[in-house]
Amino acid sequence: MNAVATAVVRRESLWSKAFYKFSRDRTGMISLVFVLFYMLIALGVTLGWLASDWSDVQGGKWEGMSMTYWFGTNMIGQDIFSRAIYSTKTAFEVGLVVALIATAVGAVIGAISGFFSGSWIDEVLLWLMGVLDSIPFYLFVAAIVFAMQESPYAMHVAMISTFWTGSSRLVRGEVIKLRGLEYVEAAHAIGVPELTIIFRHILPNTTHILLVQATITFVAAIKSEVILSFLGLGVKDGMSWGLMIAESSQEVMAGFFNNFLAASVLMFGLVMAFNMFSDALQDALDPRKVS
Amino acid sequence: MWLLSLRNQMPIKCLHTSLALITIALLISSCGDSQEQSSSDTEDTNLKVYRHAMDQAPTSLDPVQAANVYANFIVLNTFDTLFSYKYLARPYELKTNLAVEWPDISADGLTYTIRIKQGVHYVDDPAFANGQGREVVADDFIYSIKRHFDPASRPQGAWLWIGRIVGLDEWKQAGSDYSAEIPGLQALDDYTIQIKLKKPYPQLLFTLAMGYSALVPREAVEHYGREFAIHPVGTGPFRLISYDTSQVILERNPNFRQEPVDIKFEGYDPERHDYSGVATIDGRSPPFVDRLEINFIAEASARWSSFTKGDEVQYASIPNEQVDQVLASKRPVTLKPEFAEKFNFYAGTEAGFIFQAFNMDFPEFGYNEDPERERRNKALRCAINKAYAWEQRNESFYIGLGKVFPGIIVPVAPEFDPDLSTESITRDLAGAKKLLADNGWTAENLPPLVYGANSSVTARLMFEQFRAWMKELGYPTEKIILKRFATFGDISKAWKESRLPFVTKGWGLDFPDAENTLQLFYGPNGSPGSNDANYKNPEYDRLYELASTMLPSPERTEIYHQMNQILIDDCISITGLARTRIYLWHKNVIAIPDREIVGGFFMKYVDIADAEQPDLTGSGSR
Repeated sequence: MNAVATAVVRRESLWSKAFYKFSRDRTGMISLVFVLFYMLIALGVTLGWLASDWSDVQGGKWEGMSMTYWFGTNMIGQDIFSRAIYSTKTAFEVGLVVALIATAVGAVIGAISGFFSGSWIDEVLLWLMGVLDSIPFYLFVAAIVFAMQESPYAMHVAMISTFWTGSSRLVRGEVIKLRGLEYVEAAHAIGVPELTIIFRHILPNTTHILLVQATITFVAAIKSEVILSFLGLGVKDGMSWGLMIAESSQEVMAGFFNNFLAASVLMFGLVMAFNMFSDALQDALDPRKVS
Repeated sequence: MWLLSLRNQMPIKCLHTSLALITIALLISSCGDSQEQSSSDTEDTNLKVYRHAMDQAPTSLDPVQAANVYANFIVLNTFDTLFSYKYLARPYELKTNLAVEWPDISADGLTYTIRIKQGVHYVDDPAFANGQGREVVADDFIYSIKRHFDPASRPQGAWLWIGRIVGLDEWKQAGSDYSAEIPGLQALDDYTIQIKLKKPYPQLLFTLAMGYSALVPREAVEHYGREFAIHPVGTGPFRLISYDTSQVILERNPNFRQEPVDIKFEGYDPERHDYSGVATIDGRSPPFVDRLEINFIAEASARWSSFTKGDEVQYASIPNEQVDQVLASKRPVTLKPEFAEKFNFYAGTEAGFIFQAFNMDFPEFGYNEDPERERRNKALRCAINKAYAWEQRNESFYIGLGKVFPGIIVPVAPEFDPDLSTESITRDLAGAKKLLADNGWTAENLPPLVYGANSSVTARLMFEQFRAWMKELGYPTEKIILKRFATFGDISKAWKESRLPFVTKGWGLDFPDAENTLQLFYGPNGSPGSNDANYKNPEYDRLYELASTMLPSPERTEIYHQMNQILIDDCISITGLARTRIYLWHKNVIAIPDREIVGGFFMKYVDIADAEQPDLTGSGSR
């Protein structure tokens, strides 16, 4: 009788419940639309459909807003709007690369650390995370960027080197919780190798955490890129909102704010949208709230 | 142990009382200190202080390392040179300084006999016996020049005299033994110097007015060792009080010789100089201020803010972004009334220029084993030159006030040719494209061009502007590659080590003679020398060597013009632009603070007007 009743009940996964909850979250959906819009812009720039003239010198010095130059021109006559749009690609490129790699590295190390918690492996990995976390972030990033100044990916390496520890600590905690569950003990009992248990049976169950953490890392990477580029440590050859704000530092005293406004508004829009998206995602994926 | 036992015997209440008494005593003593400080400040307000501002700090105050204007500002005011420049005369004119009179020069131009002033003393310093500065003697000059040929001094000025003075190069090769004599550098007696040259060197006296040739006392150099770089001991009008990366403070040298200023001799012209009040220093002996404070403020906007908000600094240049707010007109330069009321200003063309050059050591652009490729390389260089938009650069970065000129003989040099064709500085994009096409250059076979720049925003924008022009020429954007360097020192090192195919730099004249810029392309001066382009043209070198022994004359000027034309025809350099300098200073500062060539020499003539002096409210420009 019980077996028949169970067969009738419709089973829902965490993901389907999360999707349902997210789709009912108006703020989350609006922010998702914004993020997708930015993503389309970044894609358009990457494919050469948008802002391909970002580096051209077309107008005069510090021209005002017009139908030709929506945000005016900079000191050497470049179209500020094109440069701001092009910078969206830079932000997405840095955000995606850093978020994906840092989260993946954090997940693997965190899972190993959590699974072997209390052992020397855990001690060593915790010590490594503690060391990296104790170094002031921008000082550490600046050191790596200076050490790798020839490489256009110095900034990426610097951020990945520091951002993975956050994901790692979260995953470690979750794995410590999961490894005590019956299905893990059962796997042990039937002789499944430890690495298989970690990567096939435990890590997939931390995906909801990793997804939220990746969105947070994405936003942090964008903000860090802007700050590093402003300081001259970021983008080597290309354009970025941080470089535009650095340019504007020479212009605001002359009463010309277009570079500053264009970069700030676009960056604010993306960071805000991604933050709200991240919050909504976190709510949707939280098992306590989903049920 | 004693303290422990005492504490054990002392009641707690008594301990508290003691602490309270100590606290009160400290408060009283600190009040006393502040009263003293306050009276000292009051005393300081009676001092005449001139507060100057510069964008960078010197890294050494030792004359052998005085390689830039920042170091020279301090060196020329704490040490003395045999010759210096007249304060106001333009074109720039030499005058005697430590030398008594003009040197006796032998008929063949090879022997210079220079007599120095008697009774000139170094500042008092522990390096001397009894701490009292001794008299300057001719041997000090010999020693000071020898230091440039002693690697242990880490000298930077030897290039001025290499291959010029009899026995000096050999002295270095023999191990720089200071006890060994040099035939071409002798002290005939305590006050007479004799210099023997291998060949005539008409610019010799100019070199003896540079900070590099300042006289230093051997005992101070030996006493301080490497720290002599921060302990200048000289005979200049000021002596050092403190030095760090944010500020240098100098005070009047009480032993400085009494030499009243003859303002007419110094080049005073009422029409050009009256507004500044400099006529009031006539007949008085410098220095006129008690203290010089030289502040190093990197950001132009921060310097400007310090300058305009009060008396924090009394001298500044106008940041580019402030030009429209400050200037009423650019041609001629005039200030808006609200600034003209408070400040004097000076506007003039710099004694130097900015330019770009191809490094001929790179076979992609310069010399190539294949003569056909070398011919095509020349066409490529000429096309890039034609695509370069000097006027646009001038407008973007130099507020349109720079003076664009062809070749490398700068506008302030006496040999400048105002009638030279401007074809090489006129943008001709169609001509440039045709030149590329005619010589088989296409987007596919154009070589990558690595452009070095420091990490500043301005340097980056300059690169982007250059890249945009090259894109218009047909150069693929991805082939114009930016290579960033953290500091100017790093990129300068890369040029010196011939690591970049394209050199973008500025040059300030060391002396008012076109030889100083023509030597930038003299073959033997190749990297790590001043010829960063590594240009080697036998005809150019022959003309340079021919002119280098000639005194100023129409014949020498003609040779200079021929050399200039060779450079233009070979498209070695994209040149050039001389910037217009606009400096402002407070009305109560009596000075013409022109730092071109004259460097820091003007500081000893700066005076501060007091209440009794007439209102100096004019303004003007050079």
